[in-house]
Amino acid sequence: MIRLENIGKRYQRSDVLQRIDWRIADSAFVLVTGRSGGGKTTLLSIMGGLTRPDEGRVLIDDVDIWRLSEPELAALRNRKLGFVFQFPSLIPTLRVLDNVLLPIAFGGRSPNREDREFAGSLLAMVGIADKEKAYPSQLSGGQQRRAAIARALINRPSIILADEPTGDLDESTEAEIMSLFQNINRQGVTIVMVTHALDYAALGTACLLKNQQLFPYPAGPSPESAAGEESRHGE
Amino acid sequence: MRQVFYLVRKNLRRKPFRSWLMIGCMALACATLFLAAVLSRGIQDTLQTSRERFGADIVVVPAEARDEALSVLISGDPTTFYMPSSLEAKVRQTPGVGRTSAQVFLRSLDAACCVVQVALVGYDPERDFTIAPWVLRKTGGPQRDNQIIVGAKVISAVVGSPEKAIGQRLIFMGKPFTVATILEPTGLGTDYTVFLTLNVAYRLTWESPLYPVPVNKDEISAIMVRVEDGEDPAAVAGSIEAKNPEVAALTANLLTRFFSRELRTLVEILFLAGGVFSFLALALTGSLFALSVRQRLREIGLFRAMGARRKVVFQLIVLEAVCIAGAGGLLGVLAGFCAAYFSRDRITEMIGNMYIWPGGQSLFAVALLILLAALAAGILGGLYPACRVSGLDPYEAIRKGE
Repeated sequence: MIRLENIGKRYQRSDVLQRIDWRIADSAFVLVTGRSGGGKTTLLSIMGGLTRPDEGRVLIDDVDIWRLSEPELAALRNRKLGFVFQFPSLIPTLRVLDNVLLPIAFGGRSPNREDREFAGSLLAMVGIADKEKAYPSQLSGGQQRRAAIARALINRPSIILADEPTGDLDESTEAEIMSLFQNINRQGVTIVMVTHALDYAALGTACLLKNQQLFPYPAGPSPESAAGEESRHGE
Repeated sequence: MRQVFYLVRKNLRRKPFRSWLMIGCMALACATLFLAAVLSRGIQDTLQTSRERFGADIVVVPAEARDEALSVLISGDPTTFYMPSSLEAKVRQTPGVGRTSAQVFLRSLDAACCVVQVALVGYDPERDFTIAPWVLRKTGGPQRDNQIIVGAKVISAVVGSPEKAIGQRLIFMGKPFTVATILEPTGLGTDYTVFLTLNVAYRLTWESPLYPVPVNKDEISAIMVRVEDGEDPAAVAGSIEAKNPEVAALTANLLTRFFSRELRTLVEILFLAGGVFSFLALALTGSLFALSVRQRLREIGLFRAMGARRKVVFQLIVLEAVCIAGAGGLLGVLAGFCAAYFSRDRITEMIGNMYIWPGGQSLFAVALLILLAALAAGILGGLYPACRVSGLDPYEAIRKGE
């Protein structure tokens, strides 16, 4: 479970997030929307241990992640979390398979045969099994995003944080990627996704980030309950 | 760590031109410094060797022949000058003088053995303390009248290995001599000198119809002086000249100073160039490296998001800088070595024939020192961007890299 308690964040004396309390159940599929520059990515980054909040706590499985030491936080990011970004995030000098295996190396060990096989199966799952030896520049935008999703899954994380993963993709590719996330969620992985694609709000629970606060979307009960316990497996 | 190496290698290949430019700058600086250091080391070795092998603390020569004497002692240029042998006794009476031994210089007229014209020097094997102890050690007995001792560079060009000349018969002024032994290189005129016994030297000038002016037994060319223990050779040389205005007393230090003046200028120029190149290389490599790191901020943020620890990011950047500096240093040392090797004759010619190139051990030490300096520069150059970037929050790095 992810719990945000009284989260606040300022950039240059301007509040981006204020007193956000949020609880996301295991295996939930949560979509966060809001206007550009409204703090959605910041919220995701705080949740994922990428940037420190000015106020409040983030608890993942009851562990306050911002009280962890740097190596512990890095290990948590490595093992429990998977990130998919809105920009092309593959390392251009590495082949697709090596890109997918990268988090294993950052976890402190060299990838072994099992890891390679698992990476191959992930690439097959996201539909680019034939591209494992290709370089990112040889892939389309959609294929790059699929490879990034495979990379986010390589350490079998329990949470995927996706920041507008379909923002720059055409509609049909967007639908395929969203379907992929849905499948991943069905396997019990919690997904928190920042998106403008609210056509897919039905996949899970949607929240609107507005005026530094979270609201249910469409308007309804408080975000805590909206994205709460009842929000499992996208239902 | 293997993965970090792998990422570094991949990244260096990403922009090969930039990588090679940084390596090239470093290599140029290291090559120049290597060359300067090798020459400088050579000076030290040469001075040390010269002092050790010169044998005498002071060489007394006729005052008017001071420059010629320097020429024969430094370069082995065949030349002759004489003074009364009675001066030796006067010099010996100077306070501070321990031992003396006379030498007579002849000009070789038919050095058929040799590619260069050599200096012939007669010395007294009984009283000499410069050559004689060495001959005694090498051959087991004093030099006999039918033997000659040759300098290291006298016949090597003809016979090949100098050792092969030992025991061979050579003709000087119509007289046959056996090569008793070969002197070790000194970097001084002795390398181009053939030593005879004093008696034979005098006799040759009388018996050879080729020698223009016979030398009398009461004439000598130089008096080798060893000062008493604890005496300052320069002070004793001053006393000798004060008491005997007709002579010049040359110290070993004077000889080596004279020799090293020209070489020192060259080394100073090289060190200056090396310093300038090093500064430029560090500035350029530092800027390019900082630029390269700045351009990869997002990537570094991604690494952190994937679970890379600060330490790993730090290692990644420092290691990359060290690889660039190390490759540059290695190439620079190799280039410097090649430059030194292929231009050694030219440099020797420029400086004079007395310069001794440093031995393998010295070259290795210099190469190691330059390489370590390059690696240290790499570490220092990588530290700042590594500290700056690894200290960023992953999200901050990603945002700044966009």
